[in-house]
Amino acid sequence: MSKHSHTVKKERSYGKIAVAGLLTTSVGLLATAGVYAGLSATATGAEQVSSGTLNLTLTPDVGVGFSNFAAKMAPGDTNNVYVNMNNTGTLASAAGMTLAIAGAPANALTNGTVPGEGLTVTATQCSVAWTLATGVCSGTTTPILATTQVSALATPVALSNIPALVAATGQVAHVQVSLGLVATETSTNGVAPGSTIQGLTTTLTYTFTEQQRTGVATNQ
Amino acid sequence: MTQWLTRSRASRTVAFAAVLLLGVGVAPTLASAAGVGGQASGTSSVTAGNWGVTATVTSMTFTTNTYQTSKVTNTGTIALIAQSYSVIVSNPTSGSPTFKVFQCAVAWVSNLCSGGAGAQVGGTLAKNSTTTITSTTALAAAAAVYLQVEPASVTASTTVTLSPKVTSPTQLRAAVKTNQ
Repeated sequence: MSKHSHTVKKERSYGKIAVAGLLTTSVGLLATAGVYAGLSATATGAEQVSSGTLNLTLTPDVGVGFSNFAAKMAPGDTNNVYVNMNNTGTLASAAGMTLAIAGAPANALTNGTVPGEGLTVTATQCSVAWTLATGVCSGTTTPILATTQVSALATPVALSNIPALVAATGQVAHVQVSLGLVATETSTNGVAPGSTIQGLTTTLTYTFTEQQRTGVATNQ
Repeated sequence: MTQWLTRSRASRTVAFAAVLLLGVGVAPTLASAAGVGGQASGTSSVTAGNWGVTATVTSMTFTTNTYQTSKVTNTGTIALIAQSYSVIVSNPTSGSPTFKVFQCAVAWVSNLCSGGAGAQVGGTLAKNSTTTITSTTALAAAAAVYLQVEPASVTASTTVTLSPKVTSPTQLRAAVKTNQ
């Protein structure tokens, strides 16, 4: 009987210890949670940013601009068109611009397969609009591309002196694009040489490319 | 050992794939960092002309002093200001024949050009020779001129070969500058 009483007391003692442990753990957890909640903090700030645009447009200056030449070209002929290049974006362009010309179909007029022959391009800018009737610039002319074989423009070629006119937004370049044909060929009894530029047709795509101005680091 | 090798290969494959994925991810990032570019383009079509003249008769054989003719037409699309002829005179078995070339704007009738002698092109051509003669007659596209070869002192069969030639740009119309 005495042994049984001792056992019951021992079990009660264990129960008290367990309850006390649970209470202590709960209090500890609640206290920790309270500490964390007290240390949490948030700060916010707003900043608005807008990206700029870089747009280059190509429109007729005088005349019809880039168009089809109806007449058959002979060596020495020159076909001039007049276009405006305008930086209409909100970003200035970097100093420099390139021109590439692709011919479709590619043939001896454009791909250089007849050495020294084919189409050539020259580009000149005028400080004011060109005079269509005479092809004369009443202002100041600046060459931006010396006479160059179209075959050499399959990959972009850097133009000269462009920055002054289209580097800043809203600026316009009045450009005369002259297309020429070079050929020294002898036809015999009505037959052209085996390698010839005669009678060929192509459509030229002129692509002008500008790059954005250098990135700016601002501290404010 | 085999299992270890398999695992090793698998590890390498995974690593290689990871590098590839990393590369694919980095490339567009670098491209976008290059900035924006503005581009504008325009197109135009162009056709080159043809130039050349064609003779109806290019080889004439003479056994007597009878005149022979050939019609020369501008078969190109470009007007001409001159044409040349390479004239080859064969070497006959006997005699020393000579030849002259005349041209006329209209067809020859009874060896006459509108009642006249026509205009001589070049000089007198001897046997066994090759000579280039040039006419400065302007010929629009599809226009024609008439040649007459006039022999003298023919005693044996002699052949005259005419090869009409047009060379650019010197024999083509003046260059044209167009503003449009």
